[in-house]
Amino acid sequence: MNVIHPFQAVVSNASGNQIYVVSKSTILAYKYDGKEYRLIGKWVDEVEGNHNHAPTESKNAKSPSQAKKMRSNGGKSSKKYTSDPLFPIITSQIRKLRLSSDESKLIACTDSDKSIIILRILLEGEYEDNCLKLTKRQPFPKRPNALTITDREKLIIADKFGDVYEMDAYKDDVQEIKEPILGHVSMLTDILFVRDLQGNKYIITSDRDEHIKISHYPQCYVVDKWLFGHKQFISSLCNPIWKSQWLFSAGGDECVFAWDWINGEKLAEFNYEKLIQPHLSAAHLASERFQNESNDIIEYAVSTIVSLHTLPFVAFFVEATNILIILEVCPNTGVLSLKETLELPYSIVSLSESHDELEVTCDNRSAGSDHFVEFITHNKQNNCFEIDTQRSDSFNRAVALTLKDEESVNVGSDDIYPLYNMISLKKHGEHYS
Amino acid sequence: MKAKPLSQDSGSRRYAYRVNKQENRKELKHVKIDEKSVESKTETLDLPKKKFYRQRAHSNPFSDHQLEYPLSPEEMDWSKLYPEFKDPTTGDMTKKVTVADIGCGFGGLMVDLSPEFPDDLILGMEIRVQVTNYVEDRIIALRNNNIESKRYQNINVLRANAMKFLPNFFTKGQLSKMFFCFPDPHFKQRKHKARIITNTLLSEYAYVLKEGGIVYTITDVEDLHNWMVKHLEEHPLFERLDRTWENGDKCVSIMLNATEEGKKVERKKGDKFVACFKRLPNPSDL
Repeated sequence: MNVIHPFQAVVSNASGNQIYVVSKSTILAYKYDGKEYRLIGKWVDEVEGNHNHAPTESKNAKSPSQAKKMRSNGGKSSKKYTSDPLFPIITSQIRKLRLSSDESKLIACTDSDKSIIILRILLEGEYEDNCLKLTKRQPFPKRPNALTITDREKLIIADKFGDVYEMDAYKDDVQEIKEPILGHVSMLTDILFVRDLQGNKYIITSDRDEHIKISHYPQCYVVDKWLFGHKQFISSLCNPIWKSQWLFSAGGDECVFAWDWINGEKLAEFNYEKLIQPHLSAAHLASERFQNESNDIIEYAVSTIVSLHTLPFVAFFVEATNILIILEVCPNTGVLSLKETLELPYSIVSLSESHDELEVTCDNRSAGSDHFVEFITHNKQNNCFEIDTQRSDSFNRAVALTLKDEESVNVGSDDIYPLYNMISLKKHGEHYS
Repeated sequence: MKAKPLSQDSGSRRYAYRVNKQENRKELKHVKIDEKSVESKTETLDLPKKKFYRQRAHSNPFSDHQLEYPLSPEEMDWSKLYPEFKDPTTGDMTKKVTVADIGCGFGGLMVDLSPEFPDDLILGMEIRVQVTNYVEDRIIALRNNNIESKRYQNINVLRANAMKFLPNFFTKGQLSKMFFCFPDPHFKQRKHKARIITNTLLSEYAYVLKEGGIVYTITDVEDLHNWMVKHLEEHPLFERLDRTWENGDKCVSIMLNATEEGKKVERKKGDKFVACFKRLPNPSDL
């Protein structure tokens, strides 16, 4: 059975009338006129994924050291790469979709050719039937994994090898990538551009080895501090606009953290373990390689944490669950308390925030062309979060209608890209010596 | 899974030796040996033999090793490594580690630095298990055999990946000297990020070094020397010290003559390339 590929990412503009989504390796733009959504742009990534890293049997046979390794462990060595986060199975995923602050550009990382792509959004004139136009495809030496945009519209790119590069968002020419501006000896997972109360600029980076590093910007060679507290990999950071000196972080720990990054203090932890336990399923069983004999080791991680634009809340979800957890942040102390949990119709794939509205994409492969995206808004009257069913239904109807014949996003239900990759960052200390 | 290393073959002499040493280590690693407790058993401990600690020369710094490291510098219990420097009344350390030997190998540099800097705590960091064990056993033996003089109490070793976890051990500006002696050259171009000196790692070394602190480098590989010099010279927080300074510095002469690698190069009549750099103040326009 063919389905429209679940959306791996979503981003909305400030006024909420434009929404951009990623389905398989296609970016789609929709416009909302208050009643219904209209497809206004489409860009299909034609670059095929490269599978260089996946060693073929013939390569193994040629290399004597590899062959030796294979003999010594019963020929299992070719399996090694599949569960190693440094050598993942490469699909042509588009990740970390971002809108430039003037909303004139869409920026994303592509896995296929380790590039940053910049699409210009043109809403008038000759581009009316397709507002998305690729203006730059900047290749990087290693796979970009996170990006942020500075106040001067420079892009700061963090890669899976631990390096951070700066590039120009406005020059259309492909540039030569020089030395990194900063780096970790670890996979980078998220990056933020922030300012302190005096207006000094900093870059915050998080990695697989529990580190959050704060470096001055543009003098990135001066490290300001590290924030210590995570015991597992970090997957996601966010910095609330209403309290720029604060930072929230989450990942493989059963707690999410609140920090005062300027003073280098941990303000609070919120343990979500009990909250999420009833929602864990077979999808959270550890992979065979790290499983025990009774097959009951469970592993889970927060995929994304976002803060709301003006309201003192943060929202996050645990990978492969359908529960959105919303925490209230005490504006004086940073203490985190449960506001509410919202049950989505399907497992959450991605989460983004735009002007106090949350957008969630769902793993709707069994839904028959519904529930691609759910819009969640804060109801001021009863101070509760709720799914805006009218808008969600309207959008999902438009998606089903406009994409039913779109070849690039219709796939067999077995051909859906892996949507839950975060847990593979968990360290198991597997290397002897 | 990798093949069982030789050291785990219970029939081998190396295995027997390692088991015996491990018992010793467990017992003696963190204890404060005082004269009274040794009066009864006045045996001197033999220094460990390197041949029982052989391990391949390289280790992948990107790997997810089973390493132990503190959550933060505040959580590090240094008194276990330097029991003589623990104030018995307050339980606090009387000194902090100020000298780090990154990739200390068999520990020769620390052993020679120890009497020259009796008031400094010196820490060797080494990623290879067996080599770390050797240094531990060497220090246990040296301390045990010098109980009266209390020598070698200011040096110790940790198995650690310094490239990843240095800030977990040291606070901002804690160190006054960092040594990089005969580091792994990682000749292949695509392995250059695995080198211990890169422009991005230098920023982290600059963080743990105090203003005026010194980075010492020595290698017998000229290409690596040029690489290290280039990156240190390009880094805005480091400035090279000249030949006159090198000639007047006792660490340089110890470094040239003390380390096992240094001695090996000496025997083979190879060249040794030295370069030292001073940590400059942070720019004022931050």
